[in-house]
Amino acid sequence: MTGTGLIGVDVGGTFTDIVAIADGRIETVKVATNVAESYKAVLEGASEVDVASASAFNHASTHGLNAIITRRLPKVAFLTTEGHRDVLDMARAWRPGEANTDPRWRRSFGDVTAPIVPRYLRRGIRERLGADGTTVVRLDEEQARAELRILAHCGVEGVAICLLHSYVDGRHERRLRELVREEIGDVAISISSEVSPLAREYPRASTTVIDVLMKRIYGPYTRELAAGLDGLGFTGDLNFADCAAMLAPVDVAMERPSRVVFSGPAAGTVACAHLGSLIGEPNLICTDIGGTSSDISVVTGGKPFVNTTFELEHDLVVNTLSNEIVSVGAGGGSIVGITPTGEVRVGPESAGADPGPACYGRGGSAPTTTDTFLMMGILDPDRFAAGRSRLDPELARVAFEKLETNAPLAERVRVAYRMALNNVAEGIVDVLVKNGVDPRDHALVAYGAAGPMMLPALLDQMHVKSVIVPPHPGLFSALGLVSADQVYADSRTSYAVLTPDAAGDIDALYQDMEAAMTRSFGREIEGVTFHRSFDGQLMGQVWETPFVDVPDGTITPDAVQQMIANFHDAYEARSGNRFEEMPVQGVTYRLTATVPTAKVDYPAPAPRPAGETLQPRTHLTLHHLDDGDITAAEYERDDLRGGDVVEGPAVIREPMSTTFVPSGLTARVGGVGEIVITRGATR
Amino acid sequence: MSTILTSADDASDEMVETLLKDLTDQEFRERYDCDRFTATVLANRLRYSVQHVVTGLLHRAFSPIIALCYDFAACICAPPEQNYAMSAVTNGLSIFLGTMSAGVKVAVEEYGPENLRPGDLLVCNDVYRMGNHYNDVCFIRPVFHGERIAGFIALRAHQLDVGGIAPGGFSASKHNIYEDGLSISPRLLYREGKPVRETFSLIFDNVRMAEVMLPDFHTMQGCCTLGEELLQETIERYGVEAVLGTMRYSNDASAESMRRAFAAMPDGDYSASGSLDADGVDADEEYRVHLVLRKRGTRVEADFSGSSRQARTCINAGALDTKTAVGVSLKMLLSPGSEFTSGTFRDIDLVIPPGSMVGALPPDGAVFCYYEVSALINTVMLRALGGVLGDAALGGDFGAAYVHNAYGAHPDGTPWLCAAMAGGEHGPRGGSNAGDGDGQSCSYVFNLMSPATESLEQDFPLRIMQREFVPDTAGAGAHRGGASVVKDVLYTQPAQHQTISLRFRQPAGVGVGGGDDGALGGVWIFGQDGAATTGAETFVAMDEGVYADAVAVAGTMDPQTQVPDLDGEYFYYGRVPAWNTAPGATWRYRTDGGGGWGDPLDRDPERVKRDVRDEYVTIAGAERDFGVVITGDPHTDPEGLQIDVAATEKLRASRRHA
Repeated sequence: MTGTGLIGVDVGGTFTDIVAIADGRIETVKVATNVAESYKAVLEGASEVDVASASAFNHASTHGLNAIITRRLPKVAFLTTEGHRDVLDMARAWRPGEANTDPRWRRSFGDVTAPIVPRYLRRGIRERLGADGTTVVRLDEEQARAELRILAHCGVEGVAICLLHSYVDGRHERRLRELVREEIGDVAISISSEVSPLAREYPRASTTVIDVLMKRIYGPYTRELAAGLDGLGFTGDLNFADCAAMLAPVDVAMERPSRVVFSGPAAGTVACAHLGSLIGEPNLICTDIGGTSSDISVVTGGKPFVNTTFELEHDLVVNTLSNEIVSVGAGGGSIVGITPTGEVRVGPESAGADPGPACYGRGGSAPTTTDTFLMMGILDPDRFAAGRSRLDPELARVAFEKLETNAPLAERVRVAYRMALNNVAEGIVDVLVKNGVDPRDHALVAYGAAGPMMLPALLDQMHVKSVIVPPHPGLFSALGLVSADQVYADSRTSYAVLTPDAAGDIDALYQDMEAAMTRSFGREIEGVTFHRSFDGQLMGQVWETPFVDVPDGTITPDAVQQMIANFHDAYEARSGNRFEEMPVQGVTYRLTATVPTAKVDYPAPAPRPAGETLQPRTHLTLHHLDDGDITAAEYERDDLRGGDVVEGPAVIREPMSTTFVPSGLTARVGGVGEIVITRGATR
Repeated sequence: MSTILTSADDASDEMVETLLKDLTDQEFRERYDCDRFTATVLANRLRYSVQHVVTGLLHRAFSPIIALCYDFAACICAPPEQNYAMSAVTNGLSIFLGTMSAGVKVAVEEYGPENLRPGDLLVCNDVYRMGNHYNDVCFIRPVFHGERIAGFIALRAHQLDVGGIAPGGFSASKHNIYEDGLSISPRLLYREGKPVRETFSLIFDNVRMAEVMLPDFHTMQGCCTLGEELLQETIERYGVEAVLGTMRYSNDASAESMRRAFAAMPDGDYSASGSLDADGVDADEEYRVHLVLRKRGTRVEADFSGSSRQARTCINAGALDTKTAVGVSLKMLLSPGSEFTSGTFRDIDLVIPPGSMVGALPPDGAVFCYYEVSALINTVMLRALGGVLGDAALGGDFGAAYVHNAYGAHPDGTPWLCAAMAGGEHGPRGGSNAGDGDGQSCSYVFNLMSPATESLEQDFPLRIMQREFVPDTAGAGAHRGGASVVKDVLYTQPAQHQTISLRFRQPAGVGVGGGDDGALGGVWIFGQDGAATTGAETFVAMDEGVYADAVAVAGTMDPQTQVPDLDGEYFYYGRVPAWNTAPGATWRYRTDGGGGWGDPLDRDPERVKRDVRDEYVTIAGAERDFGVVITGDPHTDPEGLQIDVAATEKLRASRRHA
């Protein structure tokens, strides 16, 4: 019988994190990821928790993303309108800003570097629709079959189809899919008019290719996983998290798996949003500091910032809803160096997991941020990563001494520390400015292995309300998988100026989407909430303003008037200008259905018995801070009780993480065990 | 007589020889009014602050060239007492990088910094004061700290129209400044945050499509305000002296990076030349840029003496554009990792003959297509330094922007204009020590987005029938250039066209280090008098047999076959003032190929086979250009290709000894 427990699994490149919630208790398991057959590690971890009594098994994985980044990809073909087979190489042609004057920069997925689909497997098909969907050149089935037979001979495992203007009408794509079945057989096929019926051929084509790759990568995997879970007695729902950490039943996710290509970090944002709802903090800056990067995202009014597209690499675009996460090259492994003009630089290069920081003793010779914190005495060499490995402070010292600068050792460490913090701070401010967010209304959530160690010190230089260290900061992202809702999402593009006359067409579009979505539920669901929005633009603009509210119910001429008013309000709120005299053009219509979903409830920490006070385990000497050597109290997080107060300087240790509370700051233990750090002393 | 521009910022002569990294903390603080850490932090902060000035612009602009093509840039300049030195600039269009710093100084000095107040926004677009072209309007916001100006935020962005005889401005045929467009001398657009009516009226009474430009002006005022707020916050937190010190530091750091790069290059005179095909009057004169780069010690002098007289129509550049192109090219080649500031130019001296195509003068030296001269100067620089740089040399790109204007009226009478989006704007880059060149990019000195086929077809009566790479066009090399791009555009309604095709007389894709030049491209019209608009016959084949019946518009071609041929005859793009086409006509732009890097006989035969499999190189081309003998049928059996190892070794040996 299905129970009430919840399981979240986050498959990373190195470790697979599992969190199990049962009877109000949170159990965590970490196992090494099996890169070749990653379902095995998942099942191994799952066997250590009570799978049989869980009602849901929610899953996120970087497996698909890693396959793309490393180009260890199944062999797939790409079919498009004749004359356009290079659309995947050409992309949008622009270089990233930082490569503006770098003549050696090359597109990472171009034909001269590492294409996702090599040119000989990209084939033009003789056919053409006009921009209005009319047939300009009929589909030449003989020519198509000849090309397909060549691809069959090449042994392709999947076929992505993206024809020009198929977002208006997918009939040629559907017919071509039939021809693929006839000529190549039962291979994975994705067609753009179903995967992402949105205007602009390159992002649609790119999304369709990613989709068919994910079908090949996750299809067999999910079958193995489902069978294995069956074997462990699991009878609940198996869900996949997508790029916005919305959950989708596995069958729904596998119909359009481009949606799940980047699911891990998004879960962290949702974990923050859920924690915020429990502790009454709707506005959060979520910062996950891992080995190579800091992933920064924002939650405002309880909701993550969501984008309509996502870039896997520069200009490698996927059309899918995704939590906006900005990665800054600042993590524990970020390398400390000296520029030719004598500046201390930290990152963006990273020592990664191998060889890793100098103090790992695995051959890394450059100092990193982890070495910096070890030199300062904040990291305990014997307790790093739950004591799995010992750090060698001597190797860290040697690495710092080798830097080419006249500065004394203490100065090198001190500046490396400040620069590491500054890089994270600048990354955060950059995200806030871009999104028009005022930090004074926001709390900073510190997670990832290095987050609690680095972020509290930013209270000195950023005007955030507080820094919050959540429970289980080392695998907080995985907790996002038991903090998310099940959401169905669909969208359609249809260019039309919003006038009362447009009401009928928009209404038909929504009726169609709602009917299709209700069918995909496959059952009656109580308490589903539908939400509609549209992406629109002022007549003459080419970039849309996304997620403008659309009224529920029948779209009448009045409802269209409301949409126009909503657009002007949203535009003004986001850009500061209002152009009410200009017509509004509707571009993409969106629908989501949110299904009520059980979520993690963090247990309240026991209160401290009257008369008892919190005692540090010991005292440490910290080095190289601005005020020289200082003595800090060292606490165990397990010793903390509800309402406890810790004055900085202090270090709070737990198995997967270390929290550093600098001088002048105060930490308090909140209602669900979170540590809230603020400026000033309590007295 | 020559115009001699010397270093752009103040500090040059008194520059102490101590390297920045060797300054003691005390010395550093004395020089920059803050410690090294603060200067590093603030330099970064200025860079990202200025990036935010344009973040909103791309997504909110109406002007398609801003919204689709990223045709704008913003910078932070130092206050008057620090000579307006540009301290941070966006990663936008590199040909704005050098003109903006000089332009801000000229505009503010002319208006009078003492006349500025908080919340003001100056506007100016005059090309002889500020470089670039009239469409590139510059907006300048002074940032006050108390009574004193602490710096400037400047934003320069391409506007849809600024008057003149050519709608939208894109033309190679304007004869003088009066035809070119409205010249806006420095004046207030906003006074203390409020719009200045007479300036708005002056501008909007003289431009087309004012209703679309007006919201862009409001948006740009907002962008400058955001930039000012960010700079103000920085000043508030770190103090004005630290911020001003950081501005000096940023310039010194760029200057030092360039100086070190110059020092590493052997002393010598390096010269080269290259040309634009013809101006808008006739094809009798190629316009030649001649450069002698004299390098001595830690300085270089770029001498353009001997370059052609200014053209009779607007294919010229101003002196500031030339300065920018030299700075961008040298930084790109020698110090790609350094930051671009006014300091980049500190050890570069320029000799620019006045009244030449690289230093045009009003009223007759009209400037519109200055960017073509910028790209040409870059090609000439690649050629001049191709030998001395060894492995660090770069193959040339496809050279230019190849702008196409098409216009007409819809059946209901409403006009349409498709400007600078349906020509040969994107193409290949050259090979380098990093590997083969990309196939689709802007040329080295531009970085514009390519608009989607579906967007263009939604907006205009045209169809992009083909946008693909052409086999055997990449300059062969150990690392080859990118392949030529063919773009076929079918117009479904009657239309008129102008093309600005300035680099089809000689190949632009210079080969270096034994690499070959990329192939020569060209422009043709198929079915000018009308052709089918539906059905399979709307596809025009890629093979060379198709050109004989086409109208050859631009390029050096065999007069019979009309296939590009270096020994052929030059077809002049401007021989018809406006090309008329009937429905069904297809314009083809075939870009030049990218230049190769290194000896093609050194290319790994496996990589040649991969190019044959991918149809970048034909079997015949592999043998002819790379000395690699391959058997099989790339199209029908791409995985069945074989290298004939023995024949390849023999062929390569005989070529090496030839």
